[in-house]
Amino acid sequence: MAKMTDATYPQCRIVPARFLNPETVEKLLNRLLEVGGIRKLVLNGQRIPPTVPYGPARGQPNPHPMRRVIRVGDQDVELQVQVGTILLELEDRAPIDGIRKACDEVFTKFPYSLSEGKFMKTQATVSDYAKYGPGADERILGTTDPKSRGGPLIIQGTK
Amino acid sequence: MAYKPQFGPGMSIVAQNRRKQMDPNHKLEKLRDVTDEDIVLILGHRAPGAAYPTAHPPLAEQQEPACPIRKIVTPTDGAKAGDRVRYIQFADSMFNAPCQPYQRTYMECYRFRGIDPGTLSGRQIVECRERDLDQYSKLLIETEVFDPARTGIRGATVHGHSLRLAEDGMMFDMLQRCVLGADGNVKYVKNQIGEPLDRAVNVGKPMDEKWLKAHTTIFHSLVGTPFREDQEYVEYVQRIHSLRTKYGFMPKEV
Repeated sequence: MAKMTDATYPQCRIVPARFLNPETVEKLLNRLLEVGGIRKLVLNGQRIPPTVPYGPARGQPNPHPMRRVIRVGDQDVELQVQVGTILLELEDRAPIDGIRKACDEVFTKFPYSLSEGKFMKTQATVSDYAKYGPGADERILGTTDPKSRGGPLIIQGTK
Repeated sequence: MAYKPQFGPGMSIVAQNRRKQMDPNHKLEKLRDVTDEDIVLILGHRAPGAAYPTAHPPLAEQQEPACPIRKIVTPTDGAKAGDRVRYIQFADSMFNAPCQPYQRTYMECYRFRGIDPGTLSGRQIVECRERDLDQYSKLLIETEVFDPARTGIRGATVHGHSLRLAEDGMMFDMLQRCVLGADGNVKYVKNQIGEPLDRAVNVGKPMDEKWLKAHTTIFHSLVGTPFREDQEYVEYVQRIHSLRTKYGFMPKEV
């Protein structure tokens, strides 16, 4: 149960009308970093596997132009999906205008929608429990697939 | 009076396109040239130039049982030669692709012989003798029922028909079998099951939005013709629905 002292952080969702190229994602994320005030960020989309997952060509390498490493801040991020939705958790509501401005700058060829709501999980699920145990850090819940081996990527801010 | 098939209801452009594609007397407009060798490469069933492998001896060389049906039905070229049964599978984007799975099956049943189509929500597969398949595939790829960006030739991992398009207008493909080049042409770099090809196969330029909207057989309320605007179609579907609900498989209209 949530305690009275628990802070609730505002969350946002950016849905562009098209699936994004890695270059656009790189541009947007760097703009968002400039805006700041973001606690968590999740890139959602269709997964692009490194090898062909099934069919007669199963196991063969799957070169894909949308699966590549992008540079965000001073970190390299390997995209595993073709980004379709971006989820954000913010420190407070102040950066939302900045985020909207950043989106307006990046998404010039097609529309997007920016909505405020609740989009990430706040409690550990059974999968989270199996992976992280009883004392899971709430900050990493919902940022990464608990079934994958990789963890979330931490980009150091100015704080 | 001789029976004249109507093919389907509807007044909208989508309904007209559906009827046109189904009507075997309507010649499908040819939009691009793809060589036989290119088609064999995309299909990936055999090496280009190789002989057709056989599943049984040619019909002329084997004893056939006395069967009245065999006397009536002329075998197709592939069946006559004893070819293997092979397939081509398409995925059609919901964003105004020129054809769609049910439509493909209807169309192929009216136009082709000796086929076994399989219809699913996002993809349609057609199986037939290899020799016939090469001909049918050529027609399906070269004519107005194909668009390089909105239609994908996908034997496995077909996911993508209901997704948003990529920034360049291509349908999502987990295996990226075809890529839009800098010259505006779409090239297949992998065959339909995702094995890399020795050389890229050009299937031409994607059609523009206007052409797609005028030639699509899919209703779409946001990017195309909304289904609700076609009164006749709605009426027809509601009638079928009501008859099925009331009478099951033996509809009776009083």
